[in-house]
Amino acid sequence: MKKYSLAIIAMMLISFFTHASNEAYVKAMQKELQAMGSAQSPEDLQKVANGFARIATMAPEEWLPEYYAGLALANAGFRSQGGIEEKDTFFEKAKKHAEKAASISPDNSEIVALQGFITMGELAADPNSRGQHLSAQAMQTFNKAVNLNRKNPRAVVMLAQMELGMAQFFGQGPEKACGLVETALDMFEKEENKENNDPFAPKWGKDMALQMKGACS
Amino acid sequence: MKIIVTCCLLFLIQPIFAQSTIKGLVTDQRGQTIPGVNIYLKGTFEGTSSEIDGTYFLETEERGTHILVFQSMGFKSQEFEIDLEGKVLEINSTLKEAINEMKAVTISAGAMEASDEKKAVVLRPVDIVTVPAAMGDIIGAFQTLPGTSNVGNDGRLFVRGGDASETSIFIDGLKVGNAFGTTASNVPTRTRFNPNLFKGSFFSTGGYSAEYGQALSSALVLNTVDFPVRNQGDISLMSVGGGYTQTLAGEKSSLTASANYFDLSPYQSLIKQNFDWERAPFGWDAEISARQKWGKSGVVKAYLHTESNGMKIWQPVPGSEDRGQLVGVKNNYTFGQASFKQLGKNDWSYYGGVSYSNNVDQFNLDPLQVRNQNQVLHSKAVAIKGFSDRFSIKTGLESYLYTYEEQLLSEGLSRDYQDHHSVLFTEADYYVSNKLILRGGLRAGNSSLAKQTWLDPRVSIAFKFDHDGQLSLAAGQFSQMPVEQLRILDQSLHNTRADHLILNYFLSKNGRTVRAEAFYKDYKKLLTYEVAQLFPMPIGFDNIQQNGEGYARGWDIFYRDQKSFKNTDFWVTYSFVDSQRKFAHFTEMVQPGFAPRHNGSVVIKHFIQPLQSQLGVSFSINDGYTYDNPNLPGQMKSKTKSFQDLSLGWSYLPKPNLIIHLACSNVLGRDNIFGYQYANVANEKGVFEENPIRLQAPRFLFLGIFLTLSKDKTANNLNNL
Repeated sequence: MKKYSLAIIAMMLISFFTHASNEAYVKAMQKELQAMGSAQSPEDLQKVANGFARIATMAPEEWLPEYYAGLALANAGFRSQGGIEEKDTFFEKAKKHAEKAASISPDNSEIVALQGFITMGELAADPNSRGQHLSAQAMQTFNKAVNLNRKNPRAVVMLAQMELGMAQFFGQGPEKACGLVETALDMFEKEENKENNDPFAPKWGKDMALQMKGACS
Repeated sequence: MKIIVTCCLLFLIQPIFAQSTIKGLVTDQRGQTIPGVNIYLKGTFEGTSSEIDGTYFLETEERGTHILVFQSMGFKSQEFEIDLEGKVLEINSTLKEAINEMKAVTISAGAMEASDEKKAVVLRPVDIVTVPAAMGDIIGAFQTLPGTSNVGNDGRLFVRGGDASETSIFIDGLKVGNAFGTTASNVPTRTRFNPNLFKGSFFSTGGYSAEYGQALSSALVLNTVDFPVRNQGDISLMSVGGGYTQTLAGEKSSLTASANYFDLSPYQSLIKQNFDWERAPFGWDAEISARQKWGKSGVVKAYLHTESNGMKIWQPVPGSEDRGQLVGVKNNYTFGQASFKQLGKNDWSYYGGVSYSNNVDQFNLDPLQVRNQNQVLHSKAVAIKGFSDRFSIKTGLESYLYTYEEQLLSEGLSRDYQDHHSVLFTEADYYVSNKLILRGGLRAGNSSLAKQTWLDPRVSIAFKFDHDGQLSLAAGQFSQMPVEQLRILDQSLHNTRADHLILNYFLSKNGRTVRAEAFYKDYKKLLTYEVAQLFPMPIGFDNIQQNGEGYARGWDIFYRDQKSFKNTDFWVTYSFVDSQRKFAHFTEMVQPGFAPRHNGSVVIKHFIQPLQSQLGVSFSINDGYTYDNPNLPGQMKSKTKSFQDLSLGWSYLPKPNLIIHLACSNVLGRDNIFGYQYANVANEKGVFEENPIRLQAPRFLFLGIFLTLSKDKTANNLNNL
């Protein structure tokens, strides 16, 4: 009996500690996600990324902290008003986090889409000399993300964005891109209504789809 | 009971009162504040970031001994052991900068990179195919860069007063023998390799790394595409031929195979030529390349290229009215290589491989029939050890086996030689900081045929200013065995030698690039000889000696701008070369015919969005080529009129997977003259009669249609780059 009690106490203690660290993880993630929602400047986004990076060192088996650190830095790169070099520094940091996330969770559609998003940022930093090379690479990456998960609205909407740019460039109609935007919006809606078992699963990107929808109609 | 309750209360209350505060300032070694530094207590979720002014503030309920970490990309992390006792702690941190490949200085003396990945680049791979004058030849694009001269009747690379044999070409670090197609004299040649094969290149006009040797002037290192992104088929239809390339791309491996055919006959029957062709140039090539990822970080590449081509041309004899001498050229060429790259443990990395080139030329100079065979087998193994982020050493071992054979088929005579070179090189890079790098290298070689051992030291230093410009200085010794045609006559010939000194300034910022360079090159042990006859090709060498010498000095400047004009990218180059040398059959110092003093070029590319087209213009000019007129006293005292070429190109993308490219060289039809050929003997009036050396046609017109077939409809040929 005594043995059993000891075992039960030990188990309770273990679950208490894991629960405690899990609770800390949840709290920290909630805090940083909230901060990310209100972050405006690249400096704020860098701070958010630092926060996620800290969580990542505490929870090395989770891909989401690395993913969000990468996403925050990619957004910082997009919003940076500096020159190409400053933007590239953000994207370079973002890539490192995305790579780490991918090594924790390989073949993850969300991470692949984030990698494509970073490539899109590098392209936007210097479209003249990077356009040819990187637009193909970004397209390829989004296609891969869609193939890994056909229900990932972020992969679809960013693919639509690339398609739209391509169509404008070649003076073609935006039909294909706009069709993809509609699909993406459907998926966003489903995502919102679905109970996700991971409360921190990526949910961003709908505003991008809405903005594009405006351009389509 | 009361005690227990009190204890419990204490236990509960204590953390609230025990909040500790840590604050301070984060600066770099020069006292500048650093924003965005990640500051946290190791092993906890507690942390903060530094503000724009470098200050930070961290409140924590943790207690006891902890480790406070300061972390920021570009700096070495710093850790402090601290005791948290509910008080205010002030900790200022000075972070040491880490060596960052993205920001650190690079040695740019003598070097021009074309790459998508690095920053100190002059060209992008895509530029190579879109320079109108280049007509899709890699070398054509490099001829618009500083330090090169355009020798239109040859087509090869001439760098800073050096002749074409002084440039060595490498693919993935391995030597390529006979990289240019064989041709008749004064018929320009091209590189054998398709520019789409390469993702980047490194072109050095001097002072290059100890990793490369047997080139007095210049090394051109081409790097093949790592992994193509998708399965696709590429069809090319050109005014001079056509081809097909199929790419199969997998996750871990890929395969590309292509076959091309060209024949200039239909084109030449439509457009009038200056040359008298018996059979216009024709040929085919086939190549296959495979890449395989190996383990976690290794890559193995294999590449095989084989081709066959020929031509027959009547070359006019000075002073004669008839068709002249019939010269037939037949060439068979194979190049194969296998290379690997592997990251090891403890900051070791390795690469190397084997390459083999086999070139067989058959010349028909009625009544003479000559067959030359040149083979090069190169093997190389290199190891790099990083001792820290500041210091690394690269060491390599190489073996070159050169085999050369000449046969006089019509007489049944033959002669050959074989030479084995063993080479050991080592090079150390030391970053004093992100702003200063020192590099020292040594290259030791031994030739079995010449029974000579040599040691070539090389050094360079580069400094980066606060405005991002960088200044580099490079110096070194370079050795090269004489050309095969002379070595076979005297097998005891030793290395020729050049010493380089180069000072370079490079700045690339926000879409604009400035590069200025001054150089001095000293030649020693050049070959001199007597020659019985110069025309149609030099024959009857005698009294070969190695007491020639010379120098080349000058400066050049390059400016590229992708920013100032919308949708426009242009570059302007000027090179000044002052070169004199005693070499070949000259008995005094002369300015070589391949080294014009003033060289300039302008390339403009303008994208016209509504037409989905890119318009390209390139203009090249020099002050003329020196030549030797036997009717006048002295040697090489005459000079041709200025060379000028205006080329236009139009690339049209009507659909994402279709490119139509139209280009025309020498649009103005200028009658460029590269020199004169003289009769071997004087006529009855005592005059050596002359023939000007011209272009094969006033203009060259190129039309190409490139179609890409793939599941991804947006793919086109350019995406391979």
